[in-house]
Amino acid sequence: MQRVGVFICWCGTNISSTVNIEQVVAALENIPGVVYIKDYQYMCSEIGQNLVKDAIKEQNINRVVVASCSPRMHEATFRKAAAAAGLNPYLVEIANIREHCSWVHKDKEAATQKAISLTRAAVAKAILNEQLIPGEVGVEKRALVIGGGIAGIQTALDIAEAGYQVDLVEKTPSIGGKMAQLDKTFPTLDCSACILTPKMVDLALNSKINLYSYSEVTEVNGFVGNFEVTINQKARSIEMEKCTGCGICLAKCPAKKALSEFEEGLAKRAAIYTPFPQAVPNVPVIDRETCIKFVTGKCGLCAKLCPTGAIDYEQKDQIVNQKYGVIIVATGYDLINLDRFGEYQYLDHPDIITGLEFERLVNAAGPTGGKLVRPSDQKQPKKVVFIQCVGSRDKSERGKAYCSKICCMYTAKHAMLLRDKYPDCEAYVFYIDVRTAGKGFEEFQRRAVENYGVNYIKGMVGKIFPGDNQLQVNGVDALSGELLQLEADLVVLAAATQAKPEADEVARMLSISIDRDRFFTEAHPKLRPVETHCAGIYLAGACQGPKDIPETVAQASAAATKAIGVLSKNKLVNNPCVAKVEQAVCSGCLACIKICPYEAITEQVIEEKTRGKVRLRRVAEVNETLCQGCGGCTVACRPGAIDLKGFSNQQILAEVDAICR
Amino acid sequence: MEKIREEIKEIVRQALASKEVDLILAWEKGQLWYDSYPAFFTEEQGVDSLVWDQFCVNNLSKYLLDDGMAGQKVGILVKGCDTLAFNQLVQDNRIIRDNVVLYGLPCSGMIDPAKVRREGLDRGLIKIKKTGDQLIFVNKEQQIKVLPTQVYYDKCLTCHYPNPVIYDRLIGEKVANETLATHAGRFSAVEELEELSTKDRFAYWDQQFSKCIRCLACRNICPACSCEQCTFDDSELEILGKAKENSEDKFFHLIRAYHVAGRCVDCGECSRVCPQGIPLEKLNRKLIKDINELYGEYQAGLDPSIKGPLVTYQLEDTDTFTAGERGRKQK
Repeated sequence: MQRVGVFICWCGTNISSTVNIEQVVAALENIPGVVYIKDYQYMCSEIGQNLVKDAIKEQNINRVVVASCSPRMHEATFRKAAAAAGLNPYLVEIANIREHCSWVHKDKEAATQKAISLTRAAVAKAILNEQLIPGEVGVEKRALVIGGGIAGIQTALDIAEAGYQVDLVEKTPSIGGKMAQLDKTFPTLDCSACILTPKMVDLALNSKINLYSYSEVTEVNGFVGNFEVTINQKARSIEMEKCTGCGICLAKCPAKKALSEFEEGLAKRAAIYTPFPQAVPNVPVIDRETCIKFVTGKCGLCAKLCPTGAIDYEQKDQIVNQKYGVIIVATGYDLINLDRFGEYQYLDHPDIITGLEFERLVNAAGPTGGKLVRPSDQKQPKKVVFIQCVGSRDKSERGKAYCSKICCMYTAKHAMLLRDKYPDCEAYVFYIDVRTAGKGFEEFQRRAVENYGVNYIKGMVGKIFPGDNQLQVNGVDALSGELLQLEADLVVLAAATQAKPEADEVARMLSISIDRDRFFTEAHPKLRPVETHCAGIYLAGACQGPKDIPETVAQASAAATKAIGVLSKNKLVNNPCVAKVEQAVCSGCLACIKICPYEAITEQVIEEKTRGKVRLRRVAEVNETLCQGCGGCTVACRPGAIDLKGFSNQQILAEVDAICR
Repeated sequence: MEKIREEIKEIVRQALASKEVDLILAWEKGQLWYDSYPAFFTEEQGVDSLVWDQFCVNNLSKYLLDDGMAGQKVGILVKGCDTLAFNQLVQDNRIIRDNVVLYGLPCSGMIDPAKVRREGLDRGLIKIKKTGDQLIFVNKEQQIKVLPTQVYYDKCLTCHYPNPVIYDRLIGEKVANETLATHAGRFSAVEELEELSTKDRFAYWDQQFSKCIRCLACRNICPACSCEQCTFDDSELEILGKAKENSEDKFFHLIRAYHVAGRCVDCGECSRVCPQGIPLEKLNRKLIKDINELYGEYQAGLDPSIKGPLVTYQLEDTDTFTAGERGRKQK
């Protein structure tokens, strides 16, 4: 006979101000099976937990129902308390009468009735609870980092520092990401490459880190501790071991028509190329779409010139299969496409550029050697207009509702760099608001205004008219209401940041979620900011939302710490609430196999004796280590042959019955 | 048909004699003129009573699930609709294809005894002949010419698969498929119901389901209801009580419709066997129509190698839940 003890928590006044506890107690007294009821102000406190423990021992109760907050908060607490008193922890059931009840209702009478229903349902389920024993599963002591920008680099370095193997997968030929493209970094104005490249070199030299550049993750299976990942190493057409990075091939390649991705299309690059001089690995890639050898079959100059014979035109993509304990997603961000912002003429005029292009134009290693000139005529501009919030804080369909967070600061930086290098060049900034929340940020922006004489205009630009020589910028000064017409030589647009277009695909592959803006969703916006809902997968950097470098690095290290936490364990405890097949009932339709997202169900042929003859029958079987207990299969199963331990069909129906009664 | 019947008998005799099969599922004539019931033939000698006439409506393929078939090579006579059911059972892993020999029989339609009675054609009936497009009902006094459409089962009038879609041996000539238009029109009754208000539609089904006596004939005849143990028979789950209760009758039929959704071959057997005349085909056809509209035309049982739309997922699938205002279908 099941003896149920019910423990009702007031949660201070969180529950008790909306739910009449006395009434709940009274209503539960008559329920068969309930032998003990106790209410207390804070059931999660030590005193409260002792009430549960004592009741288990003294009242001889063998099922515990706690009516309190969400099981996400304190289920673990009460399970531990029960276990301490010698009761199997899975015999504890939580009725959520706070988040599901007191917090969302105002009418005390109705809320009380609902609390009674919820508790009654929990009692009905608890009576059917069975003892469950979790299994253990080993941990593959190797981490996968997806994305080789500053976030991925930092995460990989931190995990390797803790002594674990890390594989870093980067899609482009070199690690470095967006940060490698930047000139200076706010708010200290130190050179971006100077602080980034030492980390890149560290990574390259670290024996614990294995870099898969020019590679992509194509498939992810498994679960925390045991992810099975397929990586496609795209054909570089260069044998990495042989290449010394001498650069002869780059210099002599006759096909120099492709636009350099690294230079944001402001310069040309050869068909065989390394994105930038400090690239890691310093091994070129042949762009097969523009390489004359690949397009026409003639040429082959690089192969002739290569002193080590590293060029291999026949190279094929290589598939790598590897197991990992954890995965860190650090896939970064992009700038939005500006083709729907016709008023700024970005697509039509070379002297209207994005902030990222500006970075390249002022960078000493950039296409102009650091000399700021107009792309149209290579002349030095005398008046530069910066426009902020191009697509940011824009609720219309073409823009993004959120603030891109980095533009106020980098625009102040750009204007300051400009005024510093070319004091005779005027700088104007159109802005909606200037947002400088960050250590040293406000001071930095004020310096631009006060020390460098940057003209800040609160207002937006309505349209840019390209003239013969200059760009006529029509805007409004919102403070004076005055219409402004500025004749600019160069216009810099602070285009909004956005999630990578392939974020959907990555999310699907990893079974993690994305928000409405296609940034990956953290498990909890405040309390679990680097975890995803999928155990063992963590987020770092701007793939989770707009971020500047300090925040990205902080989050990357946080993600690394979480990952190390898993890697440091020899065994992970399995969730015992997994699916189980009643093979006698299973009809072998195997719909469950098709539905299972974890490939935890397999087909099995069993022999059955019937009327003296042997009948072969197909049935489903669940691999308990792979099963994550999502319950998808139980709904697909028509005869109800699959049940989820701890959430059986019978239990769910008992809950429904209890609520409807 | 008589000529073919003799051919069938000969083939069945040979198959049994040569041990090509251990037993054959076919039909046998009963006491009454409309009575052609399922029969097992294991001996050459017994084959004389085998019948193939216009009352062989029973789909035999579900008998393949019987425990008695274990470890045996079974021959079976199948019409077009029966082969769809057979394929569905293969797709559901309930039958091992190689253990079965299919003798395909083209079929131009089966006669509904109820319609014969309604027309008064059963009085003194001696036999029914088929000549060309017409049926001739012969009694003592006269010969009455009847159009097949007057007496065939409704389901045969919209049948799109008069010829077996799979067979090991075809007996007789394939018949022409003349039902394209009627097949497309099989959803007209569903469309009429869709036009009703939610309240009226509920009232309609409420009234229909209240007739149910829970004999479970619909389930037992259904080739998609092939589970090892039916969820309605699971006494622990208590989905279906013993008492006759309206709400449970409704749930029974709705759950059953969803359990066969995507696998219902539209053979119409459930409606045919219902002693209470509940139009169950409308329920199933509503789901078939929805599946067709959401995921493209799909005929369950046509090709067992194609995975059904409800157990597969494709990125291009219509996502009515997010695209259509929280699950409401987009108009």
